[in-house]
Amino acid sequence: MEQEAQLVQQCLQGDGSAWEELVRQHSRRVFNICYRFTGNRTEAEDLAQDVFLRIYKTLGSYRSAYGGFATWMTSVTRNLLIDHYRRTKRDRVTDSLDDAMPVVENKASSARRPDEQALLGELSSQVQSALTRLSPELREAVILRDLQQLDYSEIQTVLAVPEGTVKSRINRGRIELARILQQMGVRPS
Amino acid sequence: MTWTCEQTELLLTDYLDGLLSAEQRHGFDLHVNSCERCTPLVSSVSHAVANLRALPELETPPRLVYNILDGTLGPRETITGWAAVRAWIRSLASPRFAYGSVSVAATLVMLITASGFNWKKPKLADLSPVNIARNTNRKLQKAIGSGSKYVSDLRVVYEIQSRLRQDNELPTNDESTAPQSTPQKEPGRTDGTAPATPRQQNRANDINTHIQVLAEELPVLSGKLSLVVSGKLTMQ
Repeated sequence: MEQEAQLVQQCLQGDGSAWEELVRQHSRRVFNICYRFTGNRTEAEDLAQDVFLRIYKTLGSYRSAYGGFATWMTSVTRNLLIDHYRRTKRDRVTDSLDDAMPVVENKASSARRPDEQALLGELSSQVQSALTRLSPELREAVILRDLQQLDYSEIQTVLAVPEGTVKSRINRGRIELARILQQMGVRPS
Repeated sequence: MTWTCEQTELLLTDYLDGLLSAEQRHGFDLHVNSCERCTPLVSSVSHAVANLRALPELETPPRLVYNILDGTLGPRETITGWAAVRAWIRSLASPRFAYGSVSVAATLVMLITASGFNWKKPKLADLSPVNIARNTNRKLQKAIGSGSKYVSDLRVVYEIQSRLRQDNELPTNDESTAPQSTPQKEPGRTDGTAPATPRQQNRANDINTHIQVLAEELPVLSGKLSLVVSGKLTMQ
């Protein structure tokens, strides 16, 4: 944590290599959060770039007392994802209407890049699909807890909600995810 | 404490994350094992969480870091002067470069050794291109010569073997059954021995011819073979 605070200080003094080091250390984590939230690789890549652009501009507002740099960065990522979700809500409503038609759904799934298909196994693909069908507030809680392995206090900091709310969202998110997976035919063996 | 289905659903995350006390856990288990509604719920949620945690962490797209750096720091400046030299020296300290260097060095050592360079008594003159070319050419000619000689020797030996085999396979008539038109005794012969028949004489002549050919083809053996030849001749 001290090393990260030192890197941040060096960045603020204009040290480009320190910034590069921070980017290399955290780009994978940010990209994965974005991908799991959106379910789209290209969109996740663009969002990850936007996250680092925002971090670069607001680096001066980071205080080590806030928590680890990773927690602060996760918080920035989450805020940007929610902004993006709200901004693209209208497009998604149209998409969800289209998704109700089986033919369009098949077309959309076949349009997925082959390397993406290979990357995700069938089960992983189904779990990812179920995840993106959760409401954003449940989705972010589940992603932070079960994929990013954050503890309750860190999630509380990132989401800026009380711990009880964090637990409740994780609980509801998991139950809802299980229900969606069952609807998709994914059942415990 | 009596557990209800609502309590089970409410505390499911605490149960799965191991946050329940021993007493709560006991009550939870007792209820779930006896409740037809909660058993599949706990099972399906545990399964969903396990599947979620099994999702692989994706690799960062290769161009992402460069795009971020270009977007924040701007396009990278070309390094010149001492900074470029230092960057180049730093790049040499990579395992890939070390492996490549060792491979090139091993190849060079093999080539220099093959060109006739004496590592025990190294001379600078041996490394001049003219000497390297001359030594390489000499070694090459020597290798070609010994190779062709070996093949030629093999060919001669094989030829002799095949001819001897042919001779051994020729049907020979029993001499005793041959009609004797002339008496055993020859005019003027007093040693009582029978002379060689024409067929035996021809075989002996053939073998002598083969050995002479072999002697010519194999100079190393020529002395011994000459002795053999002369011995044969003496015997006849």
